[in-house]
Amino acid sequence: MPRNPEEIVTEGIIEFGTGRESLVQLLTKVNEELSWIPTIAIEAIAKATRISVAEVYSVVSFYSFFSIEPRGRNIVRLCSTISCAMTGQGEILEALMNEFGIELFETTDDGRLTIETTSCIGLCDQAPAMLVNGEPHVKLTPEKACDIVRGLE
Amino acid sequence: MEKKVLLAEDQPEFGAGFELALTMTPADVVYMVRDSGIKGRGGAGFPTGIKWNLAGAASSDVKYVVCNADEGEPGTFKDRILLEKYSERLIEGMAIGGYAIGSSHGIIYLRAEYPYLIPAIEEARKNMIGKGLLGKNIRGKGFDFDVEIRTGSGAYICGEETALIESLEGKSGFPRNKPPFPVNSGYLNKPTIVNNVETFCAVPHIILGGPEWYADLGIGECSGTKLFSISGDVEKPGVYELPLGAPLKDLLELAGAKDIQAVQVGGASGRTIPAADTYRSLSFGDLPPGGSVIVFDSTVNMLEVLENFMEFFVHESCGQCVPCREGTLHLRNAVEDLIAGDICNKESLNDYFKLAEVMRITSKCGLGQTAVNCFVDIINNFVDFTDERISGECCCERGDQ
Repeated sequence: MPRNPEEIVTEGIIEFGTGRESLVQLLTKVNEELSWIPTIAIEAIAKATRISVAEVYSVVSFYSFFSIEPRGRNIVRLCSTISCAMTGQGEILEALMNEFGIELFETTDDGRLTIETTSCIGLCDQAPAMLVNGEPHVKLTPEKACDIVRGLE
Repeated sequence: MEKKVLLAEDQPEFGAGFELALTMTPADVVYMVRDSGIKGRGGAGFPTGIKWNLAGAASSDVKYVVCNADEGEPGTFKDRILLEKYSERLIEGMAIGGYAIGSSHGIIYLRAEYPYLIPAIEEARKNMIGKGLLGKNIRGKGFDFDVEIRTGSGAYICGEETALIESLEGKSGFPRNKPPFPVNSGYLNKPTIVNNVETFCAVPHIILGGPEWYADLGIGECSGTKLFSISGDVEKPGVYELPLGAPLKDLLELAGAKDIQAVQVGGASGRTIPAADTYRSLSFGDLPPGGSVIVFDSTVNMLEVLENFMEFFVHESCGQCVPCREGTLHLRNAVEDLIAGDICNKESLNDYFKLAEVMRITSKCGLGQTAVNCFVDIINNFVDFTDERISGECCCERGDQ
């Protein structure tokens, strides 16, 4: 079971404090553990840091890696920038969407998987590439990408 | 020809440059960096010595040394290699920077796409602590220094130094008005130097080899060596270290580029040039040497490449200023219209070229100012308006106009 968001925020405050500069760190902590940032966490962070809920929300919405929508336990981020696009990123995305029955930025019903595309991840020398829960996977083919994702818990 | 210093197999022990710097006055360290002529390796090319001198002269009891490890320019991955293998050198360079400007606090702002590099950086920090080169009263000189890692969260704009500082302060990464410059008012409004990973990695070599040695590594007016990440249609993609000022064709030969149609130098925000121009030099005076080189062979449809880049800028524009937020959208739409055949001659693009010029002049930061480069270069050099792909299905023939 995922932890209570407020519990994660409380732990984050001990780690990072309640200063303005802790905000992105607190959000990152919640986002990494839950794969997304629920309203209850935004409210808890706003209260602790004395920043308005609207302001916290605006910071959340600014950064691509944060989400206010529930996402899967596993997040696949397929690079869509040029060196990957030229080496077959499109086919890989097609294959993943077909195999797991979801569209881009959607989550499987069992909450196991979300597929996203992302701007350049700096693995252009080994394109096409993707990050799965932050871990790099390179020189992908549609089959290889599906195998990797199938193997996730 | 490659010239390996930062990536040399055999190189001075990590920490040796910092040890030597500690025997000098902070001012002398700044002068050495200044005299080496090194310019910022992130791509903007601001002289590092001048930046350090200004931050050193700023009066404050608290100052910050920030490493920009947010390399997000499409096609750039040189800092990834440095962080993987040379994080100790990086921390050493930051410590030298701290000593030079009078700062005890280093922050590495690491992009969210590189979380797997955190263990290497943490181990490097531990090694430096083990050598007594981080912590309190280092080597009995009364100088304290330590570094912490902070991560981004997926925003290209945070590679812009003031946006990076905003992000460190827990805010959205909107670039600040300048002045004040970070050397006077940076992180938490304290004097701050923000330098690229590669710049910090070069500093210990400058201290050990001396400014003249370092300056002589470059070609002509250029100082030092430079890392280039090359990808796209090449046999051996990867990171190569060349003298700064080397001709682009040297790098292309090393990486095995053939059948070249176009080369993009400096990433999506850089310049896109035809094969005939590859004699030009990788230097701050000519082709932007930020680090990214992407090769496109003759089979590539450059309009699709342009569409990919404009899509990138639409997504990555922070939205703070109008020319960039709206301009990137309009240019992206123009490219889509070209692909769809809804624009089929260059004259129809005149207004877009004017818009590009407005964006270049009026955008608040480098993103909007340079997002237009690929649009202008690719349309001017690589779109054949007599090609069937453009005119075959055009709006005129369909009777749309």
